[in-house]
Amino acid sequence: MSRVPSLFGRLIGLIALVLAGGLVVLGWASWAYARIAADEAYDRLLVGAALQIAESVSTEPGRITVDPPISAFETLAMAVSDRVFYRVVDPAGETLTGQTDLDSARRNGGPRREASISDGIYRGFPVRVATLGRYVTGPDVAGWIEVTVAQTIAARLDLARDLTLKAMLLVLGVSGVAMLAVVVAVRQGLRPLGRVEAVLAARDPKDLSPVVVETPREIRPLVAAINHFLQRLAERIAGMERFVADAAHQIRTPLTALTAQVELLSSEPRAERRRTQIARVRERTDQLGRLTNQLLSHAMVIHRREVVPLEPVDLVAITRAALAETVPLSLDREVRIGFESACTAMPVLGDRVSIREAISNLVHNAIRHGAPGHLSVSLDEENGGYRIRIEDDGPGIPAARWNDVVLPFVRGEEEEARTGGSGLGLAIAADVAAAHGGRLTFCQPAEGRFAVDLWFPPIKPDDAGEQE
Amino acid sequence: MMRALLMLAAVLSLVRAAASADVTTVFPAPGGERQVLQLYTATDLEVFEPLIHGFQQVAPDVTIRYTEGVTNSVFEKARVDCAAGRTEADLVITSSVDHLVVLANEGCALAHRSPETASAPAWTRWRDEVFGFTLEPAVIVYNRALVPPDEVPHTRADLISLMREKSERYSGRIGSYDIGLSGIGYLFAAFDGRSALIYGRLIEGFGRMKLVTRCCTSDLIREIGEGKIYIGYNLLGSYAYAARRKGAPIGIVIPRDYVLALSRGAMIPVQAPHAALARRFLDFLFSPGGQKIIREQAFFFDFSGKLPEGVEGPALPVEAGIVRPIVIGPSLLPVQDRAKRQRFLDEWRRSIEPAPSPVQ
Repeated sequence: MSRVPSLFGRLIGLIALVLAGGLVVLGWASWAYARIAADEAYDRLLVGAALQIAESVSTEPGRITVDPPISAFETLAMAVSDRVFYRVVDPAGETLTGQTDLDSARRNGGPRREASISDGIYRGFPVRVATLGRYVTGPDVAGWIEVTVAQTIAARLDLARDLTLKAMLLVLGVSGVAMLAVVVAVRQGLRPLGRVEAVLAARDPKDLSPVVVETPREIRPLVAAINHFLQRLAERIAGMERFVADAAHQIRTPLTALTAQVELLSSEPRAERRRTQIARVRERTDQLGRLTNQLLSHAMVIHRREVVPLEPVDLVAITRAALAETVPLSLDREVRIGFESACTAMPVLGDRVSIREAISNLVHNAIRHGAPGHLSVSLDEENGGYRIRIEDDGPGIPAARWNDVVLPFVRGEEEEARTGGSGLGLAIAADVAAAHGGRLTFCQPAEGRFAVDLWFPPIKPDDAGEQE
Repeated sequence: MMRALLMLAAVLSLVRAAASADVTTVFPAPGGERQVLQLYTATDLEVFEPLIHGFQQVAPDVTIRYTEGVTNSVFEKARVDCAAGRTEADLVITSSVDHLVVLANEGCALAHRSPETASAPAWTRWRDEVFGFTLEPAVIVYNRALVPPDEVPHTRADLISLMREKSERYSGRIGSYDIGLSGIGYLFAAFDGRSALIYGRLIEGFGRMKLVTRCCTSDLIREIGEGKIYIGYNLLGSYAYAARRKGAPIGIVIPRDYVLALSRGAMIPVQAPHAALARRFLDFLFSPGGQKIIREQAFFFDFSGKLPEGVEGPALPVEAGIVRPIVIGPSLLPVQDRAKRQRFLDEWRRSIEPAPSPVQ
């Protein structure tokens, strides 16, 4: 249970990841920015000190003197723990005072009044170095003196750390609030799912009516999908219930008749009557067997429609097989049977077993009820799809009843009594056609002829069995 | 004990007469020697000795070797040792804190952080490498018998007018440090020099009065006590008070306009062989016990700013503004700047010695 990924957990995890990433980026950026800011602040002190030292340079006859003022170093002492190094060089390149090995920050060109600032290493200490020049003139000297002041960077790092820390605390705070808001929002957002769940859980198991629950737009497709599923389930259950009821009714009638026949038979003393009675019992048994077969095949067709995925099949092959399997029934009359196909192969998406069952049933019906002497099965292209026509020279079905006969068990009592059929054959065929997106139609192609057409749609280039 | 002390004092004064060579005194561990701590100082042993005994009471197994030199020799030795990368000194103690700041700036000091050192005012500490452990004012000392009470100067302005109005009487009778020889004298003068106007008038007066210059505080104080010098300017208050306690007929004045306050500094050299022991000694200096000895037996002034009995002048609350502490930090670096020093000394000499001096 705990290993099942939680939508809530995933959302929170993802957002936390984004926030953490943002934190890292912001941390890096604020450190970089703080370093610049700290350098700017302390560079001013550094340049200020260099300026003060430069101002203290004066000329005396024969020499240049420098008097580094204490105040310059007090300025630098704002960076309390940092070491300070300095050097003043006269126009001749001689060190006037300070550390003789301290390098100038000026990289190229002669000294100028503006300060150049750079990072460096002095005696192993990372330092910031500022160099500026001052032009001095005296009785016998004139030229640029150069003042270089270097300071270690501890105070800068401290300031930068402090700034970064404060910025990060702020960012962390905001991220925390954002995270909290996200948690609340996601909880809020997932609540309608909880409502749907509650409605479904509270439901009576027999209640398959659509779920009515107030949900936001995003959840509506889910509720619609649930309702669609419920509807199909309800239809399916209704179909099964109807089938069971119909089947029970259909089987009960011949069973009752059979029981009566057997009763009669057992009380019939005369051998001759008994023979005819036995013939009738056999007939009834056959009838019952056919009925059972048809019921089962109908159930099978309906079942397969729901569960078997459609695959590319060849109508011509299926039809030929179905015909071959159905026709060799013993016939009491001479019937000419024909088969022709416009194409050698007619690929459709379908369920081989169901289609064969449908064709068998139609051929069987035609032989049984129609064709006194002629039966033909033909395959043609029609409306971009394929049509199977089962045609006979029998009386056919009156046009007025074409709509009814495709429903299961709709067949006049008298007709049933006359033919011994169950009336399920057409219903099965119609169901199969509908399940393939096709249809079953009747027509009278000529006087004294009757035809049943099964039409199947072609394979669309872009589908691979989506026909349901 | 007393005899030893007297003997030591005698030896020390002899040494001082020689005025250069370092002298090492050994204080054997009273509880049997297990460790040796080498102090290298520019502090009079008789002033510092109570602290050594105080430390040996809490650390009886430590033998202390006390090597005393003048400030400049201590500085030179520490600098040479640092450059050479080896030293036998575990702790360097000197009143010339500018020397220590220069050393620390060059990376010659070991950092030490402890609750004890943190208890002192922040201005007495730099980088946790240089520690000021005393508060010693620069005072005016006078001979009580020879300077009438109404002539005792309480400000620099008083001293300037006294030199002008009683010039015959005080000519050749005013003394101060030879700032070329005395590190502390130079440090005090450099900070006086920041108040340019009053400083100029002061050294101009000194020049007219034929200022008596000496290398060391104790010499000046002795001569004031003996009546050779009437008034001494900018002397270390702690040494003066010690002499007064011993009966020298001197008065001590805290100037009312402003008073320079020095915090005597200590530093652990970066290559100190017994750094852990040095840290312990440093912590002792800042501990309540150590500060009590500093206040009562060694330097008589401390961070509290309370004046000891008999010192004239306002108390020393650093906040009041009349105290100008010599802040230990980078601002002491220019004090040791060679160009600045040269210039300052030249100026001083020109004023003090009216005739061109054959000595430099």
